[in-house]
Amino acid sequence: MLEFLIPNNIVCHAVEAMLFASISCGILGVVIARMNISSIGFTMSHSAFAGAAAGIFLGLNPLLTGILFSVLVATLLGPVSDRTRMSVDTTLGVMFAMSMAVAIFFISYMQYLGRGFSASGLLFGDVMSLYREEIYALAVLSIVTVAFIALFYKEILALMFNVKLAEASGIRTKVVFYGILFIIAVSVALNIDIVGGLLIYVWLVTPAAIAYQFCYSMRNMFIVAPAIAAVISAFGVWAGFEYTLPVGPLIAVLFTVAFALAVILSPKRRITSNKS
Amino acid sequence: MNKVELEGIYTAYEGGARPVIRGLSLTVRAGEYVIVGGPNGAGKTTLLESINGLAKVTHGSVRVCGIDARKAGHEVRKRVGYVLQSFYFDPFTPFTVEQVVMMGRYGRMGFFRRPQKPDHEVVDRAIGLLGLEDLRKRPIGTLSGGQQQKAMIAQNIAKEPDIMLLDEPFSNLDFSTREFVTRVLEGLAAKGMPILMVSHAFDDLPDRKIRIAIMNDGKITYDDTCDSCEVEAIVRKTSRMN
Repeated sequence: MLEFLIPNNIVCHAVEAMLFASISCGILGVVIARMNISSIGFTMSHSAFAGAAAGIFLGLNPLLTGILFSVLVATLLGPVSDRTRMSVDTTLGVMFAMSMAVAIFFISYMQYLGRGFSASGLLFGDVMSLYREEIYALAVLSIVTVAFIALFYKEILALMFNVKLAEASGIRTKVVFYGILFIIAVSVALNIDIVGGLLIYVWLVTPAAIAYQFCYSMRNMFIVAPAIAAVISAFGVWAGFEYTLPVGPLIAVLFTVAFALAVILSPKRRITSNKS
Repeated sequence: MNKVELEGIYTAYEGGARPVIRGLSLTVRAGEYVIVGGPNGAGKTTLLESINGLAKVTHGSVRVCGIDARKAGHEVRKRVGYVLQSFYFDPFTPFTVEQVVMMGRYGRMGFFRRPQKPDHEVVDRAIGLLGLEDLRKRPIGTLSGGQQQKAMIAQNIAKEPDIMLLDEPFSNLDFSTREFVTRVLEGLAAKGMPILMVSHAFDDLPDRKIRIAIMNDGKITYDDTCDSCEVEAIVRKTSRMN
């Protein structure tokens, strides 16, 4: 798609993937940050990681099994939180431990069987070996994410403001919340190939956290967060290839630096010296 | 016409040793102004949340505007205003007063529908009614507790509910704002909207017949109508203090 701008096919694919992932993760990150469920990032990424490890063990497509396992965990999250009357964050902690255990089990067992398996690809991602179909999948995911947010914008807005008030106003909060969890699960599972299971957490949290330092409305946050993600990610890809640095970790560091600068420069922390 | 019909309801919370509401019956007609009183822990908030389907009613019948609240809680909540007892919005909450007031209409609009011109007009009226015009573009977290309370009342008025439930709506309000909100509620009741209000503030009741329902231990132990000037004395006499 961007070949006319970037002649190098590998770099072009990486930038395209980063841009699409920035849209989906940046937008979902706003919802995640606002609803205080940031641990969904590492829980889902480790669910995808566990599913992918199981897929490799069973000789199945790891991307597909990663998605399936994430969706399974996402489907369980809401009902388990409701049933146990625990916060979603606590349930996420339980799911994280389970996912990590499943992943380690399969990796260890494959090593025991002498079937060499390196988890580094899943943990840190690999932007240089993306297939065109994967980029198309990310493009579709971005469109689905934008469409979901647009269709349920007012319900999501109400949920992000206050769940109890949203429920009291007659909104079917569970339907919308479960839908959000489902989209996050699929998004994480598809993006795990690019930035990896560990670093996707940064992508889901940091762009929204940066946007929050400057935005006074949710609408602006939904625009600014993916834009920040796209700019930093594209720069990270360029710098990674230019200076032969690992792209995923480099982007994570760039996000953190940008967040630190945002906190320092945020107008929200200024105290007026005006006496009138 | 009966707007609320509760018959022998029991409401319990998960893990509770016994139901909070036990065998309560109550009927509220259009235009009634009902003060729900009683000591702490009597079940007043649970009564309001049993009416709008937020609390789980285990036995008995709950009909609100003819709808079975046990089966279609969200349908009931679309038609019932509910001003919560306590809330906190952090100063950086990126939602303006106007947006928060509009949220009152979201449930009624249903999925896939954006606010239209009539919705904005209703919101404008609600904001005007509560005197929040100058604050409408301000993030709600930067308002004082009393101003936030007014915004929450405006949100529920914008909903255009058939019934209004209020849980301690005067808790954050100064005297002049209490008077002001009382006049607003009186205006709604005069138009036929039943008002059910849990309150311990009786110095600014409207000059009209008030129905008092006193709760003790999950039941209504006193239910009668009186003049507003008699309310405080009756509540003091009939509420068993903890």
